[in-house]
Amino acid sequence: MRHLSKEKIRLAKLSSPARKWTRYPKKAFYGFVGPWVVGFVLLTAAPMVYGLLVSFTNFDGSSPKWKWVGFKNYLELFNDGDAWTALLRTLAFTAIVVPLSVGGSLFLASLINRRLRAVGLWRTIFFLPSVVPVVAMAIMWKLVFNRDSGILNAALGVVGIPPITWLGDSTALYALSILMLWGVGGGMIIMLAALQGVPVELEEAAKVDGAKPWTIFRHVTLPMISPVVFFAVITGVIGSLQILVQPLLLTNASGISGAGAVPESNRLYMVQVYQEFFLSNRFGYGSAMLWVFFLIVLALTMVLLRSSRSFVYYEVDADAENEGAKR
Amino acid sequence: MTVIQSPNTRERGVATTPDAPRRRKTKQREAKTYVVILALSVFFLGPFIWLVIAAFKRPEEWASVPMTVFPQHAEWDNFVAALTSVNFFGYAANSLFLATVTSVLTTLSSAAVGFGFARLKAPGKKALFLVLMATMMIPQILTLLPTYVLFSQVGLINTYWPWVLWGLAASPYLVFLFRQFFAAIPRELEDAAIIDGAGWIRMFFTIFLPLSRPVVITSFLLSFTAAWSDYIAPALFLNLDRTTLAVAITAFYQDPVGNVIPTVQAAGAILYTLPVLLIFFFCQKYFIRSALGSGVKG
Repeated sequence: MRHLSKEKIRLAKLSSPARKWTRYPKKAFYGFVGPWVVGFVLLTAAPMVYGLLVSFTNFDGSSPKWKWVGFKNYLELFNDGDAWTALLRTLAFTAIVVPLSVGGSLFLASLINRRLRAVGLWRTIFFLPSVVPVVAMAIMWKLVFNRDSGILNAALGVVGIPPITWLGDSTALYALSILMLWGVGGGMIIMLAALQGVPVELEEAAKVDGAKPWTIFRHVTLPMISPVVFFAVITGVIGSLQILVQPLLLTNASGISGAGAVPESNRLYMVQVYQEFFLSNRFGYGSAMLWVFFLIVLALTMVLLRSSRSFVYYEVDADAENEGAKR
Repeated sequence: MTVIQSPNTRERGVATTPDAPRRRKTKQREAKTYVVILALSVFFLGPFIWLVIAAFKRPEEWASVPMTVFPQHAEWDNFVAALTSVNFFGYAANSLFLATVTSVLTTLSSAAVGFGFARLKAPGKKALFLVLMATMMIPQILTLLPTYVLFSQVGLINTYWPWVLWGLAASPYLVFLFRQFFAAIPRELEDAAIIDGAGWIRMFFTIFLPLSRPVVITSFLLSFTAAWSDYIAPALFLNLDRTTLAVAITAFYQDPVGNVIPTVQAAGAILYTLPVLLIFFFCQKYFIRSALGSGVKG
């Protein structure tokens, strides 16, 4: 009897609206996701809005005597030849480096994907540079590119090519590109996984039909891995547009004071922004440059995402759409 | 994961026909492949080797004309100078402290947020997830400079607080890795825990977090090496006396005139990079796993 009454009490409690149990209390979700939401607001949204406000002022970073200047910074930026040059240079740099690094990582991956002796060793060697800290990377390549003591000019000298001032005004962008391509190993691993995800039967079938290796790669393998290639292109474009640290460090000067010593051909857009901020103390103008750049990057990303429909093959999405149509 | 460790299981370009000319052709092609691989290895390993060579040269030897490729004696003086001419261990301690704090906090917060997105429901979840994915596309440097300006107004410059905040705020990329992992765990486990009376917080700490050990390790290693390698944040946010090793080795190894001594800097760069390389060699599979998580499902 006592047992039964206890049961009754429990049931009564359950049905009372105050103690209604739900599997997914809202508080739980917001509690778990909260840290990121707060972080996003404080560390991403707030700085960006603040940057937008600063871009309408002539703030110099310290003086309290700043004032609103309206769109003056933006108008100046529109007529700023150096900024335009830097922007075009950055776009050109991206247009060269991204295809080379995506293509390079795909090439390395297909090389590693063959039957080879010591394949693990080669994979590690190719992957290794991509984990080296950027500071050490810059120091290493400065030693390689050194005009009088570097190994590159020494090797070229053997073939009879006179020493080149690699980190000088005209050739520094080549040096920077080589440094960027040195780190393609990270992309290689992603491509390797994608290649190994292609069903063997597809390639076998093409082979039986008499397709040549290149044809199989072009018409079977590449379409199958196109989502991964596209992802690499998107992240590559965003990454290379915002390059700052590598050109800052790849100078003959030392450390952060090198901002003024960046050779002409390495003055990419972010380097220009950095100089406006910390050499000229023009925080307002620098912020305007940042916001314009943010919009450009956003627009470029959108265009890439839109255009992807024509050349990226999504197997899963197609299935989902078919299912939706049936229903 | 299992596929990537054994790429040999799939035959490509290796013909097994008995006729001799074709076999010879295959042999030739194989030889070509190895030539290409060796050439690439020179490109990828060369800078490492040249760095080590430079670190063992005397400063005069490095600058000598005509240049010599190999040092006459292996000199350890550069390493001694790298450790003693500046407060190397002090900067290393700063780097270690910042990297540990951020990586522990980032891993915990990313796991929690990933758990929320994978297993819980509430209005606005889809929109929040879209915002999360979009933030991965915002170039980080674009927010870093305004953050610097903002933090300089509220007195957070030259403190370690920014790193604590960045740690607590979770990393969108790691959130995504955790979410993928947690979403794949069967619902029955959740049901069992609910029947046993566990709330979501207890379920997270006692069941899901321990299960996600491989992702936790990956996340910890990635954020640790990222913080150890970071240059721009400590260069902007910290004064030179409280800065990290990354900033110190770029600028501090100077002769009395103020020029950087390349050989000592090379030795310093080796000492600074060594921990990252050791972590990489012993935990390669975790780095590879993270690369896979980003690409395949991206």
